[in-house]
Amino acid sequence: MNNDSPQKALLVVFLVALVCSILVSVAAVILKPIQLKNQLVERSRNVVALTGLVREDTALTDDELLRAVEQLDIRVIDIDAGRFEPNMNATDIDARAAVKDAELSSAIPGADDLARLGRRSRYEVVYLVWNGAALSRIIFPISGQGMWSTIYGYIALEGDLNTVAAVSFYEQAETAGLGDQVQDPGWLAQWQGRRLFDDQGTFRFRTGPDNIDPSSPAAAYQVDSLSGATVTSDAVTQMIAYWFGAHGYRSLLDYLGSHPPEKPRETGDTES
Amino acid sequence: MTARNTLLDPLFNKNPVLLQVLGICSALAITNSVLTSLIMGLSLTAVLAFSNVCISLIRKHLPNSVRIIVQMTIITTGVIVVDELLQAFAPNVARALSVFVSLIVTNCIILGRAEAFAVKHSVRMSLLDGIGNGLGYSLVLLIVGTVRELFGAGTWLGIPVLPLARDGGWYIPNQLLLLPPSAFFIIGLLIWLLRSWKTAQVEEPDYREIRFHKAGERL
Repeated sequence: MNNDSPQKALLVVFLVALVCSILVSVAAVILKPIQLKNQLVERSRNVVALTGLVREDTALTDDELLRAVEQLDIRVIDIDAGRFEPNMNATDIDARAAVKDAELSSAIPGADDLARLGRRSRYEVVYLVWNGAALSRIIFPISGQGMWSTIYGYIALEGDLNTVAAVSFYEQAETAGLGDQVQDPGWLAQWQGRRLFDDQGTFRFRTGPDNIDPSSPAAAYQVDSLSGATVTSDAVTQMIAYWFGAHGYRSLLDYLGSHPPEKPRETGDTES
Repeated sequence: MTARNTLLDPLFNKNPVLLQVLGICSALAITNSVLTSLIMGLSLTAVLAFSNVCISLIRKHLPNSVRIIVQMTIITTGVIVVDELLQAFAPNVARALSVFVSLIVTNCIILGRAEAFAVKHSVRMSLLDGIGNGLGYSLVLLIVGTVRELFGAGTWLGIPVLPLARDGGWYIPNQLLLLPPSAFFIIGLLIWLLRSWKTAQVEEPDYREIRFHKAGERL
């Protein structure tokens, strides 16, 4: 057949497309389970690091991480209602996919949209850490628009639902060497013990000017801003303000303040 | 043209980055550490070898009217498979490389080798050409990655080399090296070094200066 005839062109295109699509499909199908496990391990690693149950310098294997997460008290929350949602399974929640679904997410009113997210999922997964019968930490997912990228992280509050126990940002594409300091361990360590709300319940937390007087009352609500990364630092402030504001987790926190969560009986003692 | 030349010429004599100045985009973007440079180089080498072999296999049946689109389909297939493999077996590096693995599709080196070499040569030579050009690209990435990681973060492949002032050492890292523009300077210096060594690579000037002694009279 003449190489330049239309029939030959169609035949070659068809065969190449067929072979290529088979290759791509086979690779995608075979590798999918491994990729999903990788994502789960990565998420688990971030959550487990914030529980305070594992020393920072211990390296856990993937399976140990997955087991450690299973031992946590994992709950689905309905952010709009400000309540736990006991009828849903945490494995069914995909907050990132949910923003594309009108039923599973809600638009954030412009004035409230400090984190510049546009929409957020109605349901989220939180992790409760128990110390005996007392709630020792509760871990919330947070996200917000930084300078170049959406920054994703977790923040762990202590049992008083106000003091920051730990924070981590696990996904960002901010400026290398400047904004990517949001993942700097030294800076993240500053967050420990800072408070989000004052005694009147007003949100006060912010990243602020360097060298704040540690004895000033404001210091309890403030961590240093990142040098050279004003936009990213402000974005972090706005992110926390959004997620712990009226449209975020605030109504759940208020509810939990008056109705402390109960430790589920079947959950193993996380101390062991 | 021997097999040996086909494989080794792209390292220094016909380096795709330093002589042909192709593939610069990814060479700027992902060379801030040695590990990402290494994985990116290997990924591109794999895609290039794959596409060169496949295109060479069907070179006698390639209709001219759809030549480029068929080549692109093959290249894209290789890239998607490599991307899936990275996400499965090197998830941390895949995250660091982000879109730049997918962007191998648009890397001029690959379509360039397909058009310039694979459509005219045997499968074996095309494979060697693909591997050779992939290694030439990887070599440049490794050098740039080494300079940037060493002086930008004080480490090489994650191993501390220069003790940082932040941790009590003496080296204050140059943060410019962590930003993409620094790769421009490094690649520029590499091109200059290579052309000083292999003077045959120096290009003819675009214009020639003609000097006049007096108005209208040539010197």
